[in-house]
Amino acid sequence: MNQHHEVRLNVNGTEHTVSVPPRKLLVDCLREDLRLTGTHVGCEQGVCGACTIIMDGQNVRSCLMFAVQADGASIETIESLASGPEDLHPVQQAFVDCHGLQCGFCTPGMVLAAKSFLEQNPSPTDDEIREAIAGNICRCTGYTFIVDAIRTAAERMAGEEAGQHV
Amino acid sequence: MSETQAETQAATQQPKLLGARVTRVEDPRFLTGNGRYVDDIALPGMLHVAFVRSTMAHADITGVNVEAAASHPGVHAVVTGAEMAGEAKPITCDSLVPTWQATEYPALAHERVRFVGEAVAAVVADDRYIAEDASELVRVEYSAREPVASIEAAIRDGAPRLHDSWEDNFFVKRHFNGGDVEGAMAEADGVLELDLVSHRHSGIPLECRGCIADYNRGDNTLTLWTSTQIPHLVRTGLADVLEMPENSIRVIAPEVGGGYGIKGHLFPEEIAVAVLARKLGRAVKWIEDRREHLLACIHAREHHHRLQVAYKQDGTVTGIKALLYVDCGAYSVYPWTSTMDTGMALGILPGPYRIRNYECEAYSVTTNKCPLGPYRGVARPAACFSIERAMDEVAHAVGLDPFEVRRRNLVRDDEFPYESVTGLIYDSGSFHEALEKVCRDGDLEGMRRLQEEARAEGRYLGIGFSCYTEQTAHTTNEFIKRGVPIIFGYDTAIVRMDPSGTVLVHVSTHSHGQGHETTYAQVVADQLGIPLESVKVAFGDTAATPYGHGTFASRSAVLAGGASLRAAQKVAEMLVRFAAEHLEADPGDIELAQGKAFVRGSASRGVEIADLARWAYHRPEKLPDGMEPVLEAVSSYDADPGTGTFANAAHLVLVEVDPETGGVKLLRYAVTEDCGRMINPLIVDGQVHGGVAQGIGGALLEEFVYDENGQLLTTTFLDYLLPGATDIPKIEVTHLETLSPFTLEGIKGMGEGGAIGPGPAVASAVADALSPFGHVFVNELPLTPERVRKFVQQATGNAA
Ligand code: FES
Ligand code: FES
Repeated sequence: MNQHHEVRLNVNGTEHTVSVPPRKLLVDCLREDLRLTGTHVGCEQGVCGACTIIMDGQNVRSCLMFAVQADGASIETIESLASGPEDLHPVQQAFVDCHGLQCGFCTPGMVLAAKSFLEQNPSPTDDEIREAIAGNICRCTGYTFIVDAIRTAAERMAGEEAGQHV
Repeated sequence: MSETQAETQAATQQPKLLGARVTRVEDPRFLTGNGRYVDDIALPGMLHVAFVRSTMAHADITGVNVEAAASHPGVHAVVTGAEMAGEAKPITCDSLVPTWQATEYPALAHERVRFVGEAVAAVVADDRYIAEDASELVRVEYSAREPVASIEAAIRDGAPRLHDSWEDNFFVKRHFNGGDVEGAMAEADGVLELDLVSHRHSGIPLECRGCIADYNRGDNTLTLWTSTQIPHLVRTGLADVLEMPENSIRVIAPEVGGGYGIKGHLFPEEIAVAVLARKLGRAVKWIEDRREHLLACIHAREHHHRLQVAYKQDGTVTGIKALLYVDCGAYSVYPWTSTMDTGMALGILPGPYRIRNYECEAYSVTTNKCPLGPYRGVARPAACFSIERAMDEVAHAVGLDPFEVRRRNLVRDDEFPYESVTGLIYDSGSFHEALEKVCRDGDLEGMRRLQEEARAEGRYLGIGFSCYTEQTAHTTNEFIKRGVPIIFGYDTAIVRMDPSGTVLVHVSTHSHGQGHETTYAQVVADQLGIPLESVKVAFGDTAATPYGHGTFASRSAVLAGGASLRAAQKVAEMLVRFAAEHLEADPGDIELAQGKAFVRGSASRGVEIADLARWAYHRPEKLPDGMEPVLEAVSSYDADPGTGTFANAAHLVLVEVDPETGGVKLLRYAVTEDCGRMINPLIVDGQVHGGVAQGIGGALLEEFVYDENGQLLTTTFLDYLLPGATDIPKIEVTHLETLSPFTLEGIKGMGEGGAIGPGPAVASAVADALSPFGHVFVNELPLTPERVRKFVQQATGNAA
């Protein structure tokens, strides 16, 4: 059980090879081996969504997978979205402007869930937004401002798109 | 005004930040994954702890065999309760209330366990995986005792005692009698007898608890990083139980992923981890998992109330007799004691209503369950549930609209400051206006139309509302009255301007979602006439921040906000004095604005505050005679006259009930709240939203279920349900701003309020929705589908 395995991961555009025991969870591998601590653990039961990452283009709960199962995968974590506070992704900026976070613990998972949702549905209704984040628990905000933030991000990104085509 | 005058005014004044809807300065670090929570910290050579927890609700420990665990590869230590008892005293937290009976809550149980999940041994290993493997090898032998798994089981004659030295199973027995209750009952047109039950649930922060202890043998110092709302109180508590000098302990609360009261305690696990670090001379980390959190952190709000409500035919409530039981679980919690919920419920039950005859008996009961502690609103959700449901029942009994019955009983504006029958001082408020406004802003008329249309289609919509007033920023006198051992009256701030003119504010409170880095900075920047970006707010590290109590009880904005304001005023006075000397003007004519000190009315006669700051530290010869070079001040604040300040609100909700499935869907939710002057309305809105969502969780979904043996059946998020985005409607918030006469700037606390109103509002709406079946008294929360179906049957039965 403790024999280590080599796992290759492309995380946020960088190739890594880590050596992990087969039972090590992907989230623990990201947080401990790669020190990417923006991905959080809220339940380890696959319910809360705090550990959401994007793997090969899909939202994935990194607490429900072993690191060895991710061998060869491309992973995006929250750390990939902005190089610094001055350069926030439109979803992140909208969360600031709409007060879409309080304690910040659900936030990385929520932002990633919102980002990949908006890539699939760039002009959602509020009900669709609520459906899309129904698997990401936020205990602080009551969701009203999170929905506002995601709608605002969608509008701004649509505006940018339109701007580019002019 | 001439143009030059206008220009001068623009240059020498700064728009006030206090009251502005400023976005939060702390957000970018959270949004980019750079928030640093306790589990994100790794120290060199750090070891990891897993706890062995009791599987029995009530038992004697007859043996603990650690051999297999201790010899497991990668294990560094296995510590049992017996060993721990020699290293740390148990947590005791005694009330000064005369009927109080004390408990001793050990870091690790030895001799006896009193709830499922209580820690009995700790395993330290190279990593958490190994620690958990080895924890399964620890063999604990128990000799079962009869479990006491409910209030009924605890209070019946001959019930087994949880604590040997006690006379019965009551932490505390309270009695209050004010006015003439018997007279009110005798003269009433009717008396209602109402039973109300709020089941056990909790705050459930998304980040579980966790801590890291590091011990330096060289100088006997202990550092504890812990996810807490109250770093200073944890330090004081640790010093007591570890019998270490308090100046050798440093507690650091890093980012905290939600607290809501739940993380405002000294926990046994913190003590155990500290002892393990001291024993091993190495850093030791424990991160709670969700199952542990649900089993053994802090539960809340389990109240059973029985009311007799005397009323007149015109809908006025003339007297109330109340009998309250609160299930406080196995141990008294530090620093609150197990008296909190009964004390608060007894005091506030009459709520915003003019009820002058009131008698109350209240019992804090011990049972073989997880200890009960404060959670957002503390007892007021249950108290509000009781009084609001009573108002609706009175309305039904006399055939009046529930709105009208409330209107006839609410304390009027001309009665403030109003002393309640229990001696609380309602400093100011807008009880009537809030209720009227929420009906307008939330479109009660529109809701009624929708309800009518739906009924015609055979759908069941219901409207409910609730009113409450909430004591916030409880200050010294209030805590003295309650008999708690620690008087949480004040909080403290240090405002420090450095040589470059930027400011660091150190406060004793802790922000874990409340946005203090923004709001306190707003307060301080106004006083010093500098931009928001020049002020940084820091907290959480007891080695850097002044002593104070922490963040709980809707107190931080008033008390630490007030302390920041006062400390900033002192620094502003220094700047003014220095500037007056430099500009050869009268200090009374100096104004601070836009980063400059000006002579009033003259934009050209000014000096940069940054220059004053530089000179104050590096060119002290420029200072006025007798002025010290350091631009720094400390202040603590405890709002006079020490009775707290009362915020108020009214909630309005529209629900749809499916009588077949028992499902309840919230269609609309509106709040009108009044927390006096708002420092930042954006943050106030966010706090209201969060509180309401938690209140809705408690009203519909969240419940800890124990079986009769004291086994907890809800230990995952699949059984303990939290509200998601599709369970919570858009929450509409509007404001009134009735200033407090007691606090700086008239600010009132508001962090908890949102959580108080939803229970009664939703229950009232469900009863209204079911009214076509017949009248039913909805008296139990949460309204799970099963309970709703029960109420449908009752309504049908009542009609028949
Ligand atoms: S931590 Fe993965 S879903 Fe909660
Ligand atoms: S911001 Fe705290 S859990 Fe979402």
